[in-house]
Amino acid sequence: MSRVRELVNVRSVILLVVLGLPAAGLLAFGPRGERHIPADRVVIRYWEKWTGVEGAAMQRIVDRFNATVGAERGLWVDYNALGDVDKRMLIAAAGGDPPDVAGLPDRFVPPYADQGALRPLDELVRESGLALTDFKPIWLDICRFNDTLYALPSTPYTIALYYNRQLFRDAGLDPDRPPQTTAELNEYARRLTRVAENDPQDPDDDRIEQLGFTVSPAMLGWWHWVWPYFFGGELWDGRRFTLDTPATHAALEWIRELRTALGNKRVLQFEGTAGAIESAQNPFLSGRLAMVFQGPWLANWARVYAPDLDYGVAPFPSVTAEQQHVFASMDVFVIPTGARRPHEAMIFLSYVLRQEIMEELCQAHGKVSPYREPGQAFLTGHPNPHIRVFDVLAASPNAFGYPKMPTWAEAWTETLYLLETVLRDVREPSVAIHQTQAKIDHLVTQYDRMAARRRGGGQ
Amino acid sequence: MTRGANSLLSGLLWTSPWWLGFLLLLAGPMALSLYISFCDYPLLQPPVYVGAANYQQLLSDAVFHKAVWNTVIYASLAIPIGTVLAVLLAVLLNQPARGQALFRACVFVPTVVPLVAAGVVWMWLLNPEYGLLNTLLRTIGVDQPPLWLESPRWAMVSLIFVSLWFVGSPVMIYLAGLQEIPEELYEAARLDGASAVQRFRHVTLPGLSPVILFNVVMGIITAWQVFALPFVMWRTRPGPDRATYFYTMYLFDNAFSYLKMGYASAMAWVQLLIILALTALVFIISRRTVYYRGV
Repeated sequence: MSRVRELVNVRSVILLVVLGLPAAGLLAFGPRGERHIPADRVVIRYWEKWTGVEGAAMQRIVDRFNATVGAERGLWVDYNALGDVDKRMLIAAAGGDPPDVAGLPDRFVPPYADQGALRPLDELVRESGLALTDFKPIWLDICRFNDTLYALPSTPYTIALYYNRQLFRDAGLDPDRPPQTTAELNEYARRLTRVAENDPQDPDDDRIEQLGFTVSPAMLGWWHWVWPYFFGGELWDGRRFTLDTPATHAALEWIRELRTALGNKRVLQFEGTAGAIESAQNPFLSGRLAMVFQGPWLANWARVYAPDLDYGVAPFPSVTAEQQHVFASMDVFVIPTGARRPHEAMIFLSYVLRQEIMEELCQAHGKVSPYREPGQAFLTGHPNPHIRVFDVLAASPNAFGYPKMPTWAEAWTETLYLLETVLRDVREPSVAIHQTQAKIDHLVTQYDRMAARRRGGGQ
Repeated sequence: MTRGANSLLSGLLWTSPWWLGFLLLLAGPMALSLYISFCDYPLLQPPVYVGAANYQQLLSDAVFHKAVWNTVIYASLAIPIGTVLAVLLAVLLNQPARGQALFRACVFVPTVVPLVAAGVVWMWLLNPEYGLLNTLLRTIGVDQPPLWLESPRWAMVSLIFVSLWFVGSPVMIYLAGLQEIPEELYEAARLDGASAVQRFRHVTLPGLSPVILFNVVMGIITAWQVFALPFVMWRTRPGPDRATYFYTMYLFDNAFSYLKMGYASAMAWVQLLIILALTALVFIISRRTVYYRGV
């Protein structure tokens, strides 16, 4: 007793009350997140990456769902925009408390599906009556992994060649005839490049003032690895990463040929001066870069930073004019494994995937429609005046998405490293390709061995 | 119960929030991470014990070696240069002069700029064509100034240069340390005819040596964990020819991009051991070089 009395003296009690009461009060009555969820609704938790204009567009659709279908069916979608949604979803899934719907970039589908983090959707889609045949095949193909549907199309896009029509005219090129082959693209790029040494005012200055075209990660997005496809190659055959092929060698030689012709050091200097692609310093928007390989969203930046820019959009050329290879990618909706309300989530997704609603979303995001036959209102009201080009590209039989390999994240990094070593003349392309192939072979073998071990089928 | 036991119990009771936090948020996860470092653990499936395979793989991983090498180079240059600069600045700022407070503020203010904002500003300052630095170099006749951020040769130099932007924090600690050096020692040195350089060498440096030791240890820990600045300045890329790809960046990629939690945990433990070993080495060297007053 005396020990307790000693410990619990008057001073301790006063301190405890002074500190403890406000803390308890804050916990009990303190500020709460703003929520107006009606008590009689079943809550569908939806995590998405979009913020700003894109997030607002999705929020409008969520609000409409909550006011209509949600009200009829007793559902409420709780939309949360999160940074790094892929990592958060993964950690939440590992912790056993994932959201009911998540919006992810499509490249996460194979690794997450292979790890068992995504719920197969074939049955849910069948039950919901959603007509998958209404979508262009490439978008459904991207949503599948090992013949199972793990995702549904969200906001898709293709990547095409933007070119400055005025600079074409200035260089004596026909602005209505963009390059038809990769060789022609290099030829156009040479003609469109202007070096400062032609300037009599400053004969010592040989910097590139205007560049025709460049394969630079700074001028691209996340598709630095696509070049072998335009030479008839593929990077994944279902079991093996197939980098060390004639197509990759031809692609890297094509890249190097142009840079050598223009002076690689000068090209590097030019690339080093380029500001962020989404800024006013984007050299295509400021008229310093004549051609760029970009997605439909570039039109949004052009409208803001270069409203008078006279530009055209064309398919990115392949090695021959007959082929038309197209990189296609998108955001997707997934239902994580362990989601508590998968059926309710599917009701929400069926609503979002109605053509008029999905196209409203895609239009607000500046993307193409996933539908085979986009609505007239979508095409005519789209902020990108060239959206039809991007839409037609998605229907190409040679459209391709990310390689569906579970170890793609590492392969992506290694292919970026490969490209950068070639761009900087650090290694001979053939040596660099061989090294990268060996590295990724090792990664894939390791992954397969562990996967077999987990299944109990190997060492 | 004795009075000592009572005090212990009372102390433990009152510090229990910290102990709980320590056990649940630090010791527990560290123990788990040690176990995971011996497993293959892709986060979504249970860990599978693989013995020392992760540690063995570190021995043959060329990217790991590159990241370690980059970190060693960065630490070996940034810590000594930063220490020398900080000590010299502190000594200068300790001189009685008009506007002393203003000069001190000027040195310290950059450290309150968030790392990300500083990184973006330096990206512009080091821009090869429009950047302030290259513009200055061109005006003094350098025709082809470096591509600071895009050249494998200059990228590391640029980062070390930028890291000096944050020298204000150690400068303030050195300034506090300088106040602790007794004035009598300087007076005695002057009476003995010591010059300013000799007073710096034989009074200031020994007097400041415990603070230098502290800052060097903190510098080692910080340098081995460098992440945010290169992550921002090279826009999440590993830099030209991986020239600015550091230990913690590779660890982060393994954990959260490649889902190799076991491998990342092994890296984290190796990192901890390296930092511990370097700190121990510094303490051993300091026995002969650090002067503690009254010891």
